[in-house]
Formats: sequence, structure tokens, C-alpha cells
Amino acid sequence: MKDLKIFLRNTHKLYSIVAILMMAFSVYSQETFTLSGYVKDKNSGETMIGASVVSVSDQSFAAVTNNYGFYSLTMPKDVYRVTVSYIGYESTSFEVTLDKNTNLNVQLSAGIVMQEVTISADKEDRRKNVESTQMGTIDVPVENIKKLPAIFGEVDVLKSIQLLPGVLSSGEGNSGFYVRGGGSDQNLVLLDEALVYSTGHMLGFFSVFNSDALKNTTLIKGNMPANYGGRLSSVLDIQMKEGNDKKYVVEGGIGLISSRLTVQGPVVKDKSSFIISGRRTYILDLIQPALKGGKFEGTNYYFYDLNTKWNYTLSDKDRIFFSGYFGDDILKFRQSTRNFRFDMPYGNKTATLRWNHLFNHKMFMNVSAIYNDYRFKFTGGQDEFVFKLFSGVKDWNLKADVEHYLNTKHTLKYGVNYTYHTMTPNTAQASNGDVDFSNNILPKYSNEGAIFFLDDIKLDNQWNVNAGIRLSAFQQVGPYTSRITQAHFKTFEPVKTYGGVEPRLSVNYRVSKDLSLKAGMAATTQYIHLVSNSSSTLPADVWVPSTEIVKPQRGLQYAAGVFKNLSKDEYELSFELYYKDLKNQIDYADNYVADISKDVEDAFVSGIGRAYGAELFIKKAKGRLNGWVGYTLSKTERSFPAIENGRWYPAVYDRPHDLSIVANYNLSKKWDFSAVFIYGTGKLYTPVNGFFLIEQQINLFYGPRNSARLDDYHRLDLSATYTPNPDSKKRFKGSWTFSLYNTYNRKNPFFINFDTNSDFQSGNTTIEATKITIFPLIPSITYNFKWND
Amino acid sequence: MIKMKLRPYLKYMLLWMLPIVFLASCEAPFDPSETTYQPQIVVEGYIETGNSSLPTYVILTRTLPFLTTIDGQEFNDLFVKQAEVSVFDGDKVVQLTELCLQDLPEDLRKRAGEVLGINTDSISANICLYVDIADQLTREAGRSYDLTVKVENQILTATTTLPKAVALTDFKWVEPADKSIDTMAELRITVNDPADEQNFYRYLTATEKDRQFLPPAFGSVVDDALFNGQEFEIPLPRAQRRNSKDFNIDTYGLFMRGDSAFIKWCTIDKAHFDFWNTRDYAAGNSGSFSSYTRVTSNINGGLGIWGGYTVQLYKLYCPPK
Repeated sequence: MKDLKIFLRNTHKLYSIVAILMMAFSVYSQETFTLSGYVKDKNSGETMIGASVVSVSDQSFAAVTNNYGFYSLTMPKDVYRVTVSYIGYESTSFEVTLDKNTNLNVQLSAGIVMQEVTISADKEDRRKNVESTQMGTIDVPVENIKKLPAIFGEVDVLKSIQLLPGVLSSGEGNSGFYVRGGGSDQNLVLLDEALVYSTGHMLGFFSVFNSDALKNTTLIKGNMPANYGGRLSSVLDIQMKEGNDKKYVVEGGIGLISSRLTVQGPVVKDKSSFIISGRRTYILDLIQPALKGGKFEGTNYYFYDLNTKWNYTLSDKDRIFFSGYFGDDILKFRQSTRNFRFDMPYGNKTATLRWNHLFNHKMFMNVSAIYNDYRFKFTGGQDEFVFKLFSGVKDWNLKADVEHYLNTKHTLKYGVNYTYHTMTPNTAQASNGDVDFSNNILPKYSNEGAIFFLDDIKLDNQWNVNAGIRLSAFQQVGPYTSRITQAHFKTFEPVKTYGGVEPRLSVNYRVSKDLSLKAGMAATTQYIHLVSNSSSTLPADVWVPSTEIVKPQRGLQYAAGVFKNLSKDEYELSFELYYKDLKNQIDYADNYVADISKDVEDAFVSGIGRAYGAELFIKKAKGRLNGWVGYTLSKTERSFPAIENGRWYPAVYDRPHDLSIVANYNLSKKWDFSAVFIYGTGKLYTPVNGFFLIEQQINLFYGPRNSARLDDYHRLDLSATYTPNPDSKKRFKGSWTFSLYNTYNRKNPFFINFDTNSDFQSGNTTIEATKITIFPLIPSITYNFKWND
Repeated sequence: MIKMKLRPYLKYMLLWMLPIVFLASCEAPFDPSETTYQPQIVVEGYIETGNSSLPTYVILTRTLPFLTTIDGQEFNDLFVKQAEVSVFDGDKVVQLTELCLQDLPEDLRKRAGEVLGINTDSISANICLYVDIADQLTREAGRSYDLTVKVENQILTATTTLPKAVALTDFKWVEPADKSIDTMAELRITVNDPADEQNFYRYLTATEKDRQFLPPAFGSVVDDALFNGQEFEIPLPRAQRRNSKDFNIDTYGLFMRGDSAFIKWCTIDKAHFDFWNTRDYAAGNSGSFSSYTRVTSNINGGLGIWGGYTVQLYKLYCPPK
């Protein structure tokens, strides 16, 4: 309740601040006019996210398109030459007489990257490194990701972002990731604004994101602006393609593990388009005939993804989008000899309905209604014994954001967000003939809401400030029976309320045209949690809300950095330092036993964490040879009173050194080559300290938590893409991608297995430790094709 | 038992999901870096009541550091001798007597071997037990028992209780799922769980042919969280050690027809349950996706268990088909 009072008091303050700011800003708006519109791809009509719109004569007048491709640039009345550019595209320049508010949509053509001199227009785009107030933010166009080598040829957005400094992989071949010392549940992963609760297929070896359906990914690993919230560590904002509104295009690929097919095209030319993209694995379908008549007949596993999107431009001012994602992993296990069977389907469904509205040249609004659903089911049994387990998260989310390009100095963003969560943490039922058992664990319901306000302020040519505040609240509601007081709460009756005041600040001081210093802080609150006692996140791990028992996680991050562009913006360089303080972190105690008859929140222990590090990022964005080097030096620790009496121990994802080198080389129109090298300090584990005898059996006992490391991890991946007829005018085009994963066959340890063998009679005892490696050198080949009408 | 854990299924999942991974995975010996090993005393002691109660006894051993092999002599040195072991039953303190197998007369040695489930003729180690040989302790449900061990300048203490007995109400032999197996049968038991209290169970089985009572290979304990106050029938697998030579996953849990089955059905207290629960989980929980599980001991100053069993013993006959 106290939290709620603070929250309400601060809300009141916020309104006052907004009102004062509005009055102050209105002074400027009378003498200027606004140039606004959308930037789109000329061939497909796709809106372009993060394109630069810059006045050539005075580069302080610059704008970047938002997530919907919209820009708004307010300048004093004058004649301007304006350049619009986007990486990989030919820029365009035009003259504008700005004597009234002007609407101008711009179309850019994809550049011919094979040319000796690549597109000059990237220059302004690359300036973002120095100019933007944002730190620790990296845009990764999906087209760039597709060039990188991929295990089994499966292009993976999440594995690509692991190559950035400050981002660690959760394990060999795994798409899970950790950002700046935060847990894997502390990343806000959004697909067209819908939260994706489970990002991995096949125990995390592949991500749920089918790259064919994606347009852009943005990773914010620190100082998240106030429009994002609900997670402590990072934001991974992924946008799906909208669909080609000019012509029909069919593209796809045939790989070792899966095949993909995407169809897109206009519904009403230049007005409405659709995209539908699917992917499915089939390796076990192929062996079904071999299983027939055998012990495991009927056993199968596959996963699929289906992305769909449709949009309609109602008028110059209104556009609607509907996007959906459906993905599942399906595992069926059958063992006829024991009549033992189980089915384990799990997956996400998301649906997003959005409405973009332009109030005027300066005010862009997006309203979204989002539904998402993550389910994990297990149904198994033997003979009459049947066991069912269900866990999941279902959210109804409504949000409205306004981007208000107030004047040359202020860009405001403000909005509201409300989510109704239904979280089912492991409801189990069993029956044996006529007898039923249940763990009586019921879903938990909660309201989560936030309002935010931020201002991107251009104080002068040297100082930029992005200041914002997010006020969040979370309320557990009934139906619920208190596990502390046994009191019963009716539907929607509040059980427990938490609030969060989350100030965010980023400051950019421009030392010179190509050098800037940035610093910032961000306070964050996280109300829902995923705790895993595994080395990586598993589908069976459950999301749990904050409740009367579980408190919200809180984080505070400080960061500072130097950003420099070199050799006429050919190289971008950044060096960032960060420190992160984490409260109410959740983990399982040392003696945790996964037991579905109990509510997991009873097994949680609570503690604190801290993480600090330095990140170096050098990127070459143009030329035949391009790529980057990222290096991170970091330390991540946790302390829990219930674990070894609060000793500070390194978190399982503490990896002091982490290096990634990524290089692309464009040899000719036909051949493209890529290489990725990764080096990281060995993974931590809790060592076996010794053994003891009970019931004549050997049992292990362990040393301090995470007090030993496996061997260092390193690996080189290579790939080559061959396009036989790059200049072909035919409607059908194909290309081949050859990949080598772990080229020099490094035996990176995956885990250590202990085997004990003891003969009580003779006393002879053997204890063996074995290092298990899973991914040796893996060659793969993928055929990609594209057809357009 | 009916307690289900998902982790084993995840292993199945990996097995079926990534055949390529498994074809490609490889193993190599691993030499762990130096750890800060500190030897500890391990207690394994039981006090029983009910219709088959063994004499109260305690075995003391030492922990082993990480070594790859141990021979018979080193194994022998694990057993802690010359300790002072006593139990307080609420009324009196009883000093347990140290009995080392090799010092015992033939018939007593054989009896001790039966208690421990070992063949005393071929065992190489001179195992020492601390036993209430005169059966002085009052052993009854509802009582608490305090154990004190004084050894090598250390004092270890623990407390356990003997809970109320919960009898099994019915037994049934059914054909196994695999109809081609006609020499074995599955045992179904009926439990009537009392509603008014939290109950914890552990069971062991033995057969006429193999008289040693063993715990089942996959989880030997269960609490009544899922079925409090219910009467229900469940399969009761015949216990076998997972690493024993005759272990076969296809016939695991089945009893031989024409043989007798002994069921030792025990109620235990919470601390005793926590020990076996964490120990069973730790034993099945190593590998790719696991962190680690520390076994919860109720011994202050050491490792292991001082546990009370309220036992219901049943002898059943599995008829030939």
C-alpha cells in the first residue's frame, strides 16, 4: 500500500512537470514548420526503421524514422536541401521550401553493394553512433544477420546478437542470452510489440524467430528509454516485415534441419499488403518409416513457426496492422513395450492489432491491442495412470504511445500501458483409473500498468539529453486464497500492490563532429520472473508473477562511454563502462528439488546482485570487407542470505572475457564470405568436492557454488554464399549458402558428467569425470530461392 | 511412485530432438581443478518401530576426496571406529555398542550382515556399527530421538521422530503392459492417506530370492501433497539399484512370478523425507541441463541421516500365471 501511495504521489508530480514543459515548449512552435512523412523501400513498399533524414546545410536538423517508418523534422522557415539515407540503400536528396508544414514520403532503392565504392549515403546513418543520446543500443538489420555463418544453416537473430559486446550466450549452440550480468528473464523480447515469453525451440538450440519474416531488430542493453519497461536488463525489439505492397514475392529455403517459405504481396496495391511466412523441421518425420513396427513407433518431434501480417493504409493519417505469430514444439514419445507414452507440446501465440494515427505533422500516435499466450503442456502415462501438467502465461495488453515532435529542440514521447496477466505455474493433475489427484495450484491473476514520459532534448549543438520517467504498478488480484493469512480474495479483488518509480536519463556531450561522450542511468522494475535451476532456460521453467510472497525485482544501471567515428565515418568505435545494482533477485536454494506438487514460489530464495564491466566495439560498416570486433571485460555476482550465508559468488553467467570478431567479405557479385570468431572465458560450474556413502551407494557433495570453471570457449565459423546468376532478369533466383560451424573442431566442454561405480563387497570404487562436447565441426548447406511476379 | 519429475523427460526430449547432436557429441576424461576439500564425518543411522523393526544402529564413515579409484584398504579406512554414540529417547540415554564385523562371532556377524544387506563372507572391509544391542531404547510412534556422536574431537548431533503408522489397505497383481512378459507381474497397492496431517512415505522391497531390502531406483520417497486424505491405488515398482548388473529398463519394477515379495512401507518425518528427497534428486540430476543439488542432512556438524522409520512389513506371494 505504501508503494501505491508513493506511486500516486509521483504520478501527480509527473502531470505537473508535463504541463509546465508543454507551456515552455509552445514558445518555440510558432516560428517553425515541419517536414514529415514516411520512408519506404522503393521495391517492396516496406517502411524503413531508423532511416536518417538530415538537412545538408545544418546537420543539427536531423531526424530518424520511428518503428513505423515515420519521421518529423521541425525547422525554421527556409529553403533546405534534405538527404534521406539508410544503410545498404542509395540515399536521396531533394530541396524543400519550408514555408508551411509539409508532408513528404520518401522511397529509397536498395543499393548495389557490389560496387567498388559503396553507397556514400550511409555516412549520415553512421553518425548516429556519435549523435544519438542512446547508449548501448544497436540496430541489427536482418539482412546483415543472414550473411553470417549459422549452425545447421539456420539463420538466427538471437545467436547473432550474442556476438555483440555485453551479450553472452547461455550455452553452446543456445539462443538464450544474458545482457550485462542480467538473467535470461530480464530481457524484454518483443515481436511487433508482443512479448515473447519463450524464445527458444528445441531446448533453446534454435530461436523462435524466423528471419525471413523479420525486418529489423534493435537491442538496447543499457539505459533503456522510458517507453520500455517491465524488465531489468535489456530490450530486444523485433519488427516483422509488413509485406510487399507492389508485387507478389515468394521466397524460401531448404536446409538440413528445416525448410522455410514466405509469400508476400499487395492486397490493394500501394495501400494494403500481407506476408505469411512459415518454417518447419522435418528430420524426425523422415525417419518415421524406420520406427514403424518398432518399440518407439509413433515417436516424433518437430517445431514450426508461422508469422503473418496484414496492413491497410486507411488514409494519409491512419494505418492499421494486424500481425500474428504461432509457433510450437511438438514432442510425442511412445514406447510400446511398457505402454509408456507422453506428449509435450509447448509454444507461443501472439496477436497484435495496431493503429497508427497522425494527429498532425508533429504528433504520431500508435495504439496497440496485444494478446499473447505461452503454454507448456505435458500429458503422459502408463496404462491407466495418466499425468497432466500445464503451465503458461496469457496476457491481454493495451497500450498507446504518442511521439510528439514538438520543435527543433524537443521530441516527446508519452504513453500508457496496461496488461492483464494470467499465469499458471504448474497445475498438475493425475488420475489412476477412477482416482484423481491434483496439486490444487490455481492460476495467478494480476494487473500491470505503466505511464511514461520522455523528452529528447537538443540543448545546443553540443549537449543532448534524453530524460524520462516511467511509473509502473503491479497488482496481484483474486480469485486467490492467501498463503500467508488464508484470507480469500474475490475476482479482481486486490491482494498485493507494488509500485515503481523509474527515472531514466542519458546525456550526450559532443566534443567534436566525430567524438562524443555519453553517460546515463536507468532505474527499472520487473514484476514477473522466470527462475531456472538449469544451466539454461528450459520450456518447463515457469514464469511467475510478483505476489504476496514474491517481490518485484529492481535494478539500477549507470553507464558512461566514449563514441568516436574514424576515417570519414568508415569506422565506428565505442567504449562503454557500466555498473548495475540488482535487488530482489530470485533463485532456488542449493537443495531445491523440482516437485510439481508444490508451488514454485515456496522454493524461491531472494538476494541481491551486482555487475560491472567495460565494452569495446569497433565496427567497419562500409567497403567490401566489413564487420566488427566486440570485447567485454566484466564481472557479475550474486549474494543470497540462504545460499552459503550470503557469500558473494559469481553468477553462473559470469564470464570475465568475451570476444567476438565478425567479418564479411564481398568478393564478387557471385561470392560472399563471412567469418565469426568467438572467445570466452570458461563457463562456471559448482564442482564436486567429494563423495560419501549412504545405503552402500556413492553420493556426491559439492564445493562452493560456481567456484570452478570449464575450459575457455572458442570457435571459428565460416560461410560462403554463392549466387550463380546475380544479374539474372528472371523471376526466379536462387543462391547456395555453405557453412562450417566450429571450423577447427574445438572440443568445447558442454558439461561435466560424473559416473560412480562402487562395489560395497570388495570396496573397489571408481569415480570418473567426463567432459562432454556436443557440437564438433558441422558443415551444412542451404538453398535459398526467390520468385517475384 | 506417483510423484512426477520433468527433468528425465527433458532428457528424452533432447534424445529425440537432436539425433545429430548425439551422433556428433563426444566425451573426454576430465580432470577437475583443485577444490577446497575438507573431510567430514557421515552418519547413517536408523531407528525403527512397527511390525518389522531392526535394532537401532549407526554407521559412521568419512567423506572421500575426489579420487578416481579406491581399493579395498582405502575403503576399509572410510569406516570410523572408536566413536562414542548415544541416543536419548525422551526418558533415558542409551550408549550404542561398537560392533566390528570381523570381531563378531560367526552367527552374530551373519545377522549383522542381514541387517546391512551384505554378504559377510566376502566383504573386504571391517565394517563397524554402533548398535543398541540390548534393545534398551523405547521405540514407539510419536517419540523423538536425539543422537549424539563424539568422535575425533567432534560432536555431531541430530534428532528424528517416529511418525504414526499408515498401513496399506490392499494389494493386487496385474499383468505387465508388455503382454509378452508372462513370467513377471506388476504390483498395485492401495494407500489410505490420513487427511489430518502431512504424511511422508518411503518404501523398500525385497524378494525371497534376493533378501536385501532396497529402495527403488527412481525416487524412494513421496509426500501426500498430491493426494492428502485420499484412498487410491498405485503401482509399486520392485526396487532395484540403477547400476546393478541385472537392471533392465524394460522389466524394471516388475516382480517375478512364483516368488515372494516383501514390502517395507515406512512413514517418516519431514527431515528424514528431505534427506532422501534431495538425495534421490541429486542422484538423478546430473548432466547437461542440471545445476547441482545439495543433499539436505539433519546432522549438525556432519553429513548423512539419522532417520526414524515406522514400518509396516508385508509378505506377498506373486502367483505363477
